[in-house]
Amino acid sequence: MATIVDTKALLETVVYSLAAGVGVTLIFSIAIYGMARFAELGREGRTPTALAFGSLAVLAIVAFCAVITLGIIVMTTK
Amino acid sequence: MNETDLILGIVVATALAFDFTNGFHDTANVVATSISTRAMAPRVAVAFAAVLNFVGAFISLEVAATVASDVVEAGAITPTVVFAGLIGAISWNLITWYFGLPSSSSHALIGGVVGSSFAAVGADAVLGEGILGKVLIPAIVAPVVAFIAGGLAIVICYRVVGAQRPGPVTRGFRLGQIVSGGMLALAHGTNDAQKTMGVITLALIANGNLADGSTPPDWVVVAAASAIALGTYSGGWRIIKTMGTRIIKMDAAQGFSAQGAGAAVILASSHFGFPLSTTQVISGGVMGAGAGKRVSAVRWGVAGDIVTAWLLTLPASAAIGAAVYGFCSIFGDGAAGPLIVSIVGLALAILAFARRLRTAAAVPAV
Repeated sequence: MATIVDTKALLETVVYSLAAGVGVTLIFSIAIYGMARFAELGREGRTPTALAFGSLAVLAIVAFCAVITLGIIVMTTK
Repeated sequence: MNETDLILGIVVATALAFDFTNGFHDTANVVATSISTRAMAPRVAVAFAAVLNFVGAFISLEVAATVASDVVEAGAITPTVVFAGLIGAISWNLITWYFGLPSSSSHALIGGVVGSSFAAVGADAVLGEGILGKVLIPAIVAPVVAFIAGGLAIVICYRVVGAQRPGPVTRGFRLGQIVSGGMLALAHGTNDAQKTMGVITLALIANGNLADGSTPPDWVVVAAASAIALGTYSGGWRIIKTMGTRIIKMDAAQGFSAQGAGAAVILASSHFGFPLSTTQVISGGVMGAGAGKRVSAVRWGVAGDIVTAWLLTLPASAAIGAAVYGFCSIFGDGAAGPLIVSIVGLALAILAFARRLRTAAAVPAV
């Protein structure tokens, strides 16, 4: 069976799909969490903590954009 | 124009018609989640999906290469064989559409071409190992992976944002769905348009216009991309009218997770050249995101329908492809057979559309 099925390619497809499918949602969830906490703490006047969560949100958004861009680059360069 | 060029012309036109119907059928899969969570207005979602379907068709040729070289022996078949396979696929799509059964255009296309090749040349023309390794096993694995990815993603997502106020969370995920929905449309264009490119390339190789193992020429890529994008755009207007009747209600986070999982599986599979049923993968992602929130929220009957489609589509479209080839061969190697089949097929398709439009208002949005 292993000679008929390209096991390596199939396994890589499964791993990349799971990593990307779950990873993208996780990163975007962290971005939303950071934004929500930033807004909430900002309203309460806790500026330093709010800024920390704001930075977390920005980092997560940058990571989200990077993953999407990387995915497109990998697709177009094969 | 000689007779072989005429047959080739019919094959290319039929393949592009198939591509158009593929886009037309699949619009709902691509845009339903974005519309049902109100991430995008219906008209915007459909136009956005059509544009990204077009763009997606240009980003990879791996699936086209699989269809052109790993399913049937390209050197052993003729344009008439490819034509009969396409008619097998279109016929099965129309039959299932008429009776409201879920079907995979991709499996129908591969089944049709395999059936007609088998009828024309025999078992030697069918690359069993390629079909098993590149089509059948990925067809089973991919929706399951999309289901698991969608389910895991939504569980993790609720753990991260579950304690936050729902308003900002919903608005954030609706914004994110512009990207995830876009990626899904891009993935759909990539995998599905390439199947048509592969079939046209197969016909060009069979007709001697291209060498065995060639990649699709630029005009084939542009034509296939345009056909699927036009189909998506046209299909959307009808789907918009039936929105809210068949589409699963989900929140924006579930929509994002489902689209992300579906896009990831389709793009990764396209990268490795696996021609998938995008409908089944997207359904897997949606069911996973539904089950991750509440198992009973999922319409498990859809999973049963998918299994039925798996079992029926390949043999049924293969049988029709073989029968069409048999009919064409009665008229010899010329263009008469394909011409008669095209005219009769077009008339039957128009009749089916007219009857269906009279008896039912809605196109199933699986």
